Amino acid sequence: MDLFQLEMKVNGEAVSVPVNPGLRLLDVLRDVLHLSGTKEGCGEGECGACSVIIDGELVDSCLVLAPQAHNREIITIEGISADGELDTLQSAFLEAGAVQCGYCTPGMILAAKVLLSKNPKPGRQDIARGIAGNLCRCTGYAKIIKAVELAAAGLQQKEGEAGV
Amino acid sequence: MLNLSAYYQPDSLAEALALLTHSGGELRPLAGGTDLVPALAKGETHLDGLVDLCKIPELRGISRVDDQIRIGSLSTFRDIENSPLLQPASLLREAAAAVGSPQIRSQGTIGGNIANASPAADTVTALVALKALATLESAAGSRSVPVSELLCGVGKTKIRPGEVIKEILFQVPPQGSSSGFIKLGRRKALAIARMNLAIIITVEAGRISRARVALGAVGPNPSRRPALELVLIGQEQSLPLIDTFIIAAEKEVSQMLGTRPSVSYKREAVKGIARELLHRLFFGTGQVVG
Repeated sequence: MDLFQLEMKVNGEAVSVPVNPGLRLLDVLRDVLHLSGTKEGCGEGECGACSVIIDGELVDSCLVLAPQAHNREIITIEGISADGELDTLQSAFLEAGAVQCGYCTPGMILAAKVLLSKNPKPGRQDIARGIAGNLCRCTGYAKIIKAVELAAAGLQQKEGEAGV
Repeated sequence: MLNLSAYYQPDSLAEALALLTHSGGELRPLAGGTDLVPALAKGETHLDGLVDLCKIPELRGISRVDDQIRIGSLSTFRDIENSPLLQPASLLREAAAAVGSPQIRSQGTIGGNIANASPAADTVTALVALKALATLESAAGSRSVPVSELLCGVGKTKIRPGEVIKEILFQVPPQGSSSGFIKLGRRKALAIARMNLAIIITVEAGRISRARVALGAVGPNPSRRPALELVLIGQEQSLPLIDTFIIAAEKEVSQMLGTRPSVSYKREAVKGIARELLHRLFFGTGQVVG
């Protein structure tokens, strides 16, 4: 079958690669672009380990056919830290001890990223709903929710300082 | 990787319909893909090729003209959940918000929810209560079919080869209406509904003048339950009416399920979800139109 010329923006950079259109976005990110921060868990949209952000919305990259991402903007876990500095969420996950084996962490952080972009002051219920599509089998969710609360508070503070 | 022999990504509906017609049923339309992509990747579903509808502008958008709402079939659950235009049809927004997870709601579409014909499809229960029509387009023309008549069994629809669901149309419930949706799952996120219920009531001069009740995941497809609607019509919104309704709902579910093993669970469960939803519509935060 003909290859599909897939053009998209990944972590701010324009990408143009010929791909087999039967590949999932997850396969292209990991095996073609070598962005292995995105994990495959269940492969059916239950666990959220493969979550990425497409045009500002959280999706499971195992459920997206690669050509469906054509002309769209993708953010993966590799794309959220700028200039070698950890993102506020990444720091908060470390501070709260919200990482154990780490397999769910990229998806969790991206889910939290989308949540905070839409709701900068989420309550615990909002956070639980925001990460409802992401499973963690180690720490449980208490520390992860704590980390998101820390990040929200940190971002509020940053914004306050910037406003002065 | 999916084993596809053909893949097309047309920019217009006309082009998509031409591809589907000329393939003689070999190609299948792809909407959001949240069910089809994993089924193909796991080898559970086989097909020759896909016509991906994701770049077709005619299939998108939510609009209102007078009292009619139009929802493009490729509208995602997130689009529906967040659309201010759908405020008068809060049952549909609540149903969309109950689907899957944030990830699934970003990607899954209302057209896909219909075409997939799952007994537990959350938005379909709301659409059946709204008496929504689906517009089906093919190279030969267009036809309009009630969503309730389009579905004919688990995973089965009357959508013909070469046809695509273009849009969903329904009338906004009249002034004085309130509506809601409730779902019972094994857990909150990502649960396939064990049962779902959508109700619209219209209140005039203190009495319910019109009622629509739809139940999902009890039969092969979500369906309206006229016997339960009759329980509500003509009555005042009261606690005794809720009690009468849940007794009728238990009976209805028992009759629908017959001797199936799930009957003892579901006839109890329907009482809980019906009580909660009616309480919300009668006395609570259930949103009132007008």
